[in-house]
Amino acid sequence: MLLKISDLTKQFGGLTAVNKFDMQVNQGEIVGLIGPNGAGKSTIYNLITGVYPPNRGRVIFNGKDITRMKPHRVAGLGIGRTFQLNPLFPDFTVLQNVSASFHLHPHSSLFDIYFNTPTYRKNESIIREQSLKILRLVGLEKVKDDLAKNLPHGFQKMLGVARALATQPKLLLLDEPLGGMNPSEIEFSLNSIEKMRQQGTTIMIVEHNMQILDLCDRVIVISFGQKIYEGLPQEVRENKEVISAYFGGEHA
Amino acid sequence: MKRDGINKWIKPVALVGLIIILAILPLLFSSPYLLHVLILTFIYTVGAVSFRTITISGQFPLAHAAFMGIGAYTAAMASRYLSWPPWVTIPMGAIAAGIIGIVFGYPFARLRTLYYAMGSLFFGMAITYIVQSLKITGGYVGLTKIQPLFSSVSRVPYYYFFLVLALFCTVALYRFEFSRIGTNLKAIAQSYQLASSVGIDEARYRILVVAVGCFFVGLVGAAFAHYTPIVTPSTFDLSATLWLAMYVLIGGINSFAGPIIGTPILYFIPQYYFSNLRAYSPFIPAVILIIIAYLMPKGLAGLIFMLNSRYLDRLWFRMNGKGATHATENQ
Amino acid sequence: MEVLIQTLTNMLVLAAVYILVSLGFAFLFNMLGIFNVAHGSIYMAAGYLAYLFIGAIGLNQWIGLIIVVILFAGLGLFLEKFCFRPFIGDFNRQIMIGVAIIAILETSVNILIGSQMYIIPTFVEGTLAAGAYSIAWDRIVAFGLGGVLLAIVILFVNRSRWGQQMQAITQNIEGAALQGINIHRVSAIVSSLGCALAAIAGILMGSLYTLDPFMGDGTLVKILILIILAGVGSFKGVIYMGLLLGALYATLPLLIQGAASDAVAVVIILVILLIRPQGFFGHEVS
Repeated sequence: MLLKISDLTKQFGGLTAVNKFDMQVNQGEIVGLIGPNGAGKSTIYNLITGVYPPNRGRVIFNGKDITRMKPHRVAGLGIGRTFQLNPLFPDFTVLQNVSASFHLHPHSSLFDIYFNTPTYRKNESIIREQSLKILRLVGLEKVKDDLAKNLPHGFQKMLGVARALATQPKLLLLDEPLGGMNPSEIEFSLNSIEKMRQQGTTIMIVEHNMQILDLCDRVIVISFGQKIYEGLPQEVRENKEVISAYFGGEHA
Repeated sequence: MKRDGINKWIKPVALVGLIIILAILPLLFSSPYLLHVLILTFIYTVGAVSFRTITISGQFPLAHAAFMGIGAYTAAMASRYLSWPPWVTIPMGAIAAGIIGIVFGYPFARLRTLYYAMGSLFFGMAITYIVQSLKITGGYVGLTKIQPLFSSVSRVPYYYFFLVLALFCTVALYRFEFSRIGTNLKAIAQSYQLASSVGIDEARYRILVVAVGCFFVGLVGAAFAHYTPIVTPSTFDLSATLWLAMYVLIGGINSFAGPIIGTPILYFIPQYYFSNLRAYSPFIPAVILIIIAYLMPKGLAGLIFMLNSRYLDRLWFRMNGKGATHATENQ
Repeated sequence: MEVLIQTLTNMLVLAAVYILVSLGFAFLFNMLGIFNVAHGSIYMAAGYLAYLFIGAIGLNQWIGLIIVVILFAGLGLFLEKFCFRPFIGDFNRQIMIGVAIIAILETSVNILIGSQMYIIPTFVEGTLAAGAYSIAWDRIVAFGLGGVLLAIVILFVNRSRWGQQMQAITQNIEGAALQGINIHRVSAIVSSLGCALAAIAGILMGSLYTLDPFMGDGTLVKILILIILAGVGSFKGVIYMGLLLGALYATLPLLIQGAASDAVAVVIILVILLIRPQGFFGHEVS
């Protein structure tokens, strides 16, 4: 069991964004977290990665309690994520976006970096090589020198994923990876995500778009901060409560 | 790009040329006033470059001149009261500025841009007021009887000292910016959340860059204390910080060369060529600021970049027998 | 008791001065996001110009006051059209032009009037006697004038058409424009008003206390302190904070002498900034 969340609760003022949320993710799985807008999905990600602390509950990753750990340390332990808003470094090029994300592996000390030691130079060339490899994997190597803010939307999303991969995460948290994509981009993304799983990354996906269900081993449905269903993809499709959560209340 | 051949050599050649000119200058012109203004230009250039280094991370150090003052006063007090030699007091001043930079940065670096800027502005004022109110720092009048760096009357040894010091600081800050450290800082400036998610300890990096910036401005401040006959608080007040910011903006905040271009234009030229205007002389920098603000918002470095692209393109094509075609550089 | 009355008077007068000058800055900053670093220098220049008319040339105080205020209202229009409006949204250029204005104003004052400390001849002679104690009339008048102006400004902001448009722009500039509000006209009026208020504040300071060539820089810092503590976006906060800071600036020098009292004041403010950076009445700036 790679990630275990128990009794996670977060309140903002009077509003309870996440309420006694439990879940777990096992090594090698792809788990989907779906629900309507405002259900609390991104909040859960923020709680896992330590952007803010929960009011109650615990997050245990690889046996370690990471509940109140700062984001950069959570990243150091092997959790990578994409962001729905502000997913990129806009003034960096595509290549810079990815290579900047290689901060952790291989890590050069400040001394090495500043004095341009052989270790640093070796690390930098490894980083460059791996960055190009990742860009090839997601199909962005042709635009590697373009500024990220000038990319079309679908490319930006893929770059977000590429960037997250650069952290070589054990657990990758994707936040709406299919948002704003056209059908061919979606197909490409789904294939890429499956490839990542085959290469050993455990993946959790927050999504609106139901097409993600095909890819997932398990799906958790959340509404108004609470888990309302957990099960296999096809079960989720037919479940009445899920349907009413999506279409009875707020729309995707 | 076809033009890369020339393009790559222009900057290093210009740089070496500039250094050579600066190195032989005292042999050609011996006016003490010229050397004095150049020495101050070197000092303010380091102040401007280190100011800009801090801004890479998205923070605005509106106390920067006060840190130059911390370096200066530390060296001055150690020299006057403890009789320590300059080669001890100058590093001391730099380290003191760096440490106080960390002490300030620790609680304040977590504030968002506007509040950090205001916080550092107020902090700089606090330093100014404290220095003005303590007898040990000489109050409004300042400190004297500091051991000078060189026993010679001529300014020439000082000139070379400060030239070398400025080059050292500039190279040190250049390396800082153009290594992965600089990349991480730029990442933090664009999105601190994203930077955290790839493992960058954004709080620590922000404090680091403030400490480094303060260290170097403290270093030139401390050296300055051993050059000038008196160290006064008004040299390091808010107005001084604002002018450092102006040197950076005139040259262009987006380019490392910006402050190096801006300081001579906004400080040296008015100070040396227009000093005979006396009371009217501040109009000159004001006019320069107005011209740049209206005509060249990206600073002079931005202008040079544009010229670099357009005219050198045409020059290259003409030189190679091809008619002037459309500009090839993407803006 | 004498000291208490003096301190109270000082507190009210200082509060009035700083509120008036800060409102001018706040108008531009809250509405258009314009950071007018030159505002302190405008305040200083008005005071010195009033000295020139009243003290040096010998005009009647009230006439001098009115002339200077009208001139500076005009300056506000000029600055808005040529220096603020072109640079909305571009902080770097605002600061550049602001520093240029500071240099021009300070140098002009230096050349035309002089760089010494002056006092503008008092507006109202004599003191009010209340039992065994006395308060100078000019301070009472100053405070009264400040209060009246403040009331006018509050009425203007809350009741008048321009004021309401101003509030609309402060909340949502694009929405306001879409509703047909003429942003340029409102910002011109507001800038003009702001400079006029700064001018009055400078003249009050120059008459009740003193004019010094550095008062622009020091006052700019006090304005920023007030705005930040009050909270960006809140005009009400400016008034409350102004009273609080007026109290602080009036009482602190009694306890601590000289520049040290300024130092202590700023340190207190730094601590407050750490605890509550968004101020007490405004909204948070991201």
